Amino acid sequence: MSAEFMASLIHFLGMMLLIASFWILVSSQIGACIRAYATHSFLLALITAVVAWSQHIEHLIIPALLTLALKTIVIPHVFFRIIRRLGIRKEVESYINIPFSLLLAVLLVFISFYATGEGRFLKPAAFGEFIPLAISTVFFGMLMMTTRKKAISQVLGLLLIENGLFLMAITMTFGMPLLVEMGIFFDVLIAVMIMGLFVFKIRDAFEGIDADDMTVLKG
Amino acid sequence: MTIDKALWMPLIFAFLCLIPSPKRITRLTFIAGAVISAIGAWGFVFGASWSPRVFAFNGNLMMDALSAVFALLITGVGVLSAVYAGGYLFKEGDGSISPLRLRRYACFFHLFLFTMLLTVFSNNLGIMWIAIEGTTLASAFLVNVDDKKSSIEAAWKYLILCSVGISLALFGIILVYYSAIAQAASGESGLLLNWTFLLSKAKQLDPQVLRLAFIFILVGYGTKAGLAPFHSWLPDAHSQAPAPVSALLSGVLLSCATLGILRFHILTKAATGSAFSDTLLIFFGVLSVVVATPFILEQKDYKRLLAYSSVEHMGLAAAGLGFGGALGLYGAILHIMNHAFTKSLLFFSSGHLYYLFHSKEIADVKGLLRKNAFLGIIFFLAALAIAGMPPFSIFVSEFLILSAGFLGGKYISCAVLLLFLALIFVGFLRHASRMTLGGPNTNQSKQSGDWGRPNYHFGKEIKSLGGSEEPPKVERSLLMDSVLVVGMIVILTMGFYIPGPLNALIQAAGRIAGGTIL
Repeated sequence: MSAEFMASLIHFLGMMLLIASFWILVSSQIGACIRAYATHSFLLALITAVVAWSQHIEHLIIPALLTLALKTIVIPHVFFRIIRRLGIRKEVESYINIPFSLLLAVLLVFISFYATGEGRFLKPAAFGEFIPLAISTVFFGMLMMTTRKKAISQVLGLLLIENGLFLMAITMTFGMPLLVEMGIFFDVLIAVMIMGLFVFKIRDAFEGIDADDMTVLKG
Repeated sequence: MTIDKALWMPLIFAFLCLIPSPKRITRLTFIAGAVISAIGAWGFVFGASWSPRVFAFNGNLMMDALSAVFALLITGVGVLSAVYAGGYLFKEGDGSISPLRLRRYACFFHLFLFTMLLTVFSNNLGIMWIAIEGTTLASAFLVNVDDKKSSIEAAWKYLILCSVGISLALFGIILVYYSAIAQAASGESGLLLNWTFLLSKAKQLDPQVLRLAFIFILVGYGTKAGLAPFHSWLPDAHSQAPAPVSALLSGVLLSCATLGILRFHILTKAATGSAFSDTLLIFFGVLSVVVATPFILEQKDYKRLLAYSSVEHMGLAAAGLGFGGALGLYGAILHIMNHAFTKSLLFFSSGHLYYLFHSKEIADVKGLLRKNAFLGIIFFLAALAIAGMPPFSIFVSEFLILSAGFLGGKYISCAVLLLFLALIFVGFLRHASRMTLGGPNTNQSKQSGDWGRPNYHFGKEIKSLGGSEEPPKVERSLLMDSVLVVGMIVILTMGFYIPGPLNALIQAAGRIAGGTIL
């Protein structure tokens, strides 16, 4: 396996990951959003596997498999069940329209490339090109959490942030210690379950899952 | 008793509480669990066999004086809160909560205690992060016990905001790990996130990266600790949670998050050798006090009043940590401890208030001394204590923090702190006297100008203690009342005299916070 092939494979995966992040942002249907998230996680698992393989770090195989199992299959499945039970097929509602959020997203990508470019702070041994991608994924997640109205979209935004941080850990430090990595997966899974439960509670109490209906508490 | 046993205890009781059984038995298991965990932890801390550090679980868990102080706090307030909840939530009659919900509540309560203990006992910074995220997940259900609109909203905001905040902290931890990996020798890879290991190698870490990491940690854990401007979840969650849970959230959860910041502060200071993290802590500390003040002065809801006061006190503690020096660190740790007990006492009495007046509005609470003299006295004294009145314990620690600031030459911060503390004092005094003194709440008294002579009423009421003319219609729970008395005794004694072993422990904790490498 030549180094040249490896480099182009990594570039390719990075591009696909960025495209998947954009896909999550522009999807106008909640179902498409979840599928885009699953794709994003799938690419993340692939990248983890490639890192593990090229750097001969065996313990990274476990996070790769867990990402594949949990974030690509289990969590999207949970989400689909939730929206089926809630009976929502409607469009994703946002405070800003999709072209504008796309514009913001492009800006965020530029910022993250600029801020981490030229090895300003961080000079990892390999895979340096993933750092701006990871940071822009975190930015995208935050953009989604602040601009989307539906409670479910906010949870997806949180998961997107988590994906970005995972990518960061994988490429900068070749993953956290296995114990910590497992703990984080556990927390994410529990968080999705609990937030899913709360989405139903919100639906029952507020007759809808618009987070901006929740304005009882002030001051 | 070892660290693992201290951690197993709440975990075991969490699942014991889930066993279907009559309410009475669930309550017994629930309270016994908290008491046994506390006895275990206190015995372990004051049994002298561990000093200065004890490790467990391959060095991933560790107890030093700093974590010991926080473990005392968690279990101490935990017992008070569990006993109070035994009277508050397990009452019979109308509005009582179904047994299934109670069992779930008891389970999450112990899980919450477990995650907080894990936070303070973790040496591995990654595990600490997992535990802090765990506290959010465990307590979200405690905030929302009754499924009311406002509780769900509060719990949702709490979940979302704290999770985002915490994810920023994870970013900081990745940065620390990255800077450690760059310097690591082979064979040390398992230790690289261990706080003790990082501290011993602090000089070799990249100071630039650590500074960046500290900013993320401060924002991340600061969200959880309620530092302004990241505090917006706090008043909602604290005001909507049932009183015993508010006490735990405000008294110990915020303190645990502060411990998370403190661990990184020590590390950053050792690595950079500069006052970078001090300055940030002082800035956000003072900002929190300033931001909380208008909300305290103009507050209409007494539980939110207490919540904003937590923002203020966490800010004060952060400023104390930033002022540094032996005095400032000792004062800050003492302040965290005093705040935990005083604020939980106030939240407990807010539970009593809610029973008596069925309202969280300050305006609806009038003539408390006449209606229920016992509660009136406790609430008034506790409000004075939290505002920083001598001889209560908070005064001592505030005084220490401010003197440390003056000694360190931070005159501007200290002047701002003093000014706003004075404003807060006035605000608290005004709210507390409106609630406790004065006539009972009738429509006539508002119009006939009864307000003009509260002192006259006050004098009369003292004589008619027991309130024969207007007996409180609420069932009095001995458990709940005894918690108030115990809390009052604690904050009064701590103002005069800190027991020797405890004082030694806080001093040792202060030395660790000062960066002493044992």
